Amino acid sequence: MGMRDAFGLPAFMVAASMLGYGAMVHSAGMSLPIAIVSTLGIWGLPGQVAFVEYILLGAPLVSMMIAVSLANMRFLPMSLSLVPMFRGSESGWRWRYLWVQFMSVNTWIGLLRRIPELSPDQRGPFFAGFSTNCMIAGVVGVSTGYLMAETLPFYVTVSLVFLNPIYFAFVFAAMRVRACLLAFAAGAVTGPLIYLLTPDWSLPISGIIAGSVGYYADRILKGRA
Amino acid sequence: MNGAGQSLGAFGPWALLFMAIAATYLWRGLGSVIAARLDPESRFLQWVACVAYGLLAALISRIVFLPVGILENTQLVDRLGATALGFVVFFAFKKHIGAGTLTAAGVFMLLVWARTQGML
Repeated sequence: MGMRDAFGLPAFMVAASMLGYGAMVHSAGMSLPIAIVSTLGIWGLPGQVAFVEYILLGAPLVSMMIAVSLANMRFLPMSLSLVPMFRGSESGWRWRYLWVQFMSVNTWIGLLRRIPELSPDQRGPFFAGFSTNCMIAGVVGVSTGYLMAETLPFYVTVSLVFLNPIYFAFVFAAMRVRACLLAFAAGAVTGPLIYLLTPDWSLPISGIIAGSVGYYADRILKGRA
Repeated sequence: MNGAGQSLGAFGPWALLFMAIAATYLWRGLGSVIAARLDPESRFLQWVACVAYGLLAALISRIVFLPVGILENTQLVDRLGATALGFVVFFAFKKHIGAGTLTAAGVFMLLVWARTQGML
């Protein structure tokens, strides 16, 4: 059932986004195995993009580690809400450290949607099937994008690279939590500005500033309501 | 870059990749370790989530305004125009992610193609 659920939009979006990522890795001059292992290993597009961009920038190592880590920091609250879903099932709970590696925005939402229908013992197999399908789509997408990048005309390759950030812009703009939306809007402003001041450290600094702005603006608005 | 740590050039791509994977798994693993102990509704976690969204927005916005790599060879007005049109369609279709994404990417491709053809 998990594998069936993943067919359609989730798998399509993973494949299409990874197609762009594959083309991006190729344009950065790195190898196909790096493209595949970084897809399955980091398994979060913003972190993958940060990884490639930082290698292109040749920034300090500590800065790259912080940027990749912070770009995927959403995994902390996500795994905090995912892991309790496997309580009440001995096997599901035992594999929790593997489930969090399988977790992406797509697979996380895929499981949350089905939670009411699934008994605790069914959740592990469902999540494994759903995630496997998304990962297969990811590997197919990234390999295709990487290999086609050599033959595709410039306007297609560059558009596939553009697809990555733009897809996430809309995924996050569709969020319903006001604090997150405010932080997202603030980050869109601070990102390029702080980059002009300090390219190497712009991401962590922008994130903390924009996040605090969003969080406190939301609290102030709540106080008024 | 001196004084701010060792530059990335000193490491091979695989070493850097495994460090990036470890840096990512940190959050996943940490989440499962403390999932049992912490209140998911706590204020600190809400702030952490905001920082994550702000950071992702900063990354996306920086790629649109000041890209590094292959996107450097495209025009700012094309990237901005395609993004803006995507958002118009996104809101017109009640925040439809697919519609917004496909519009933005499609318009962007069309603009870049028109430039390679010398139409713009």
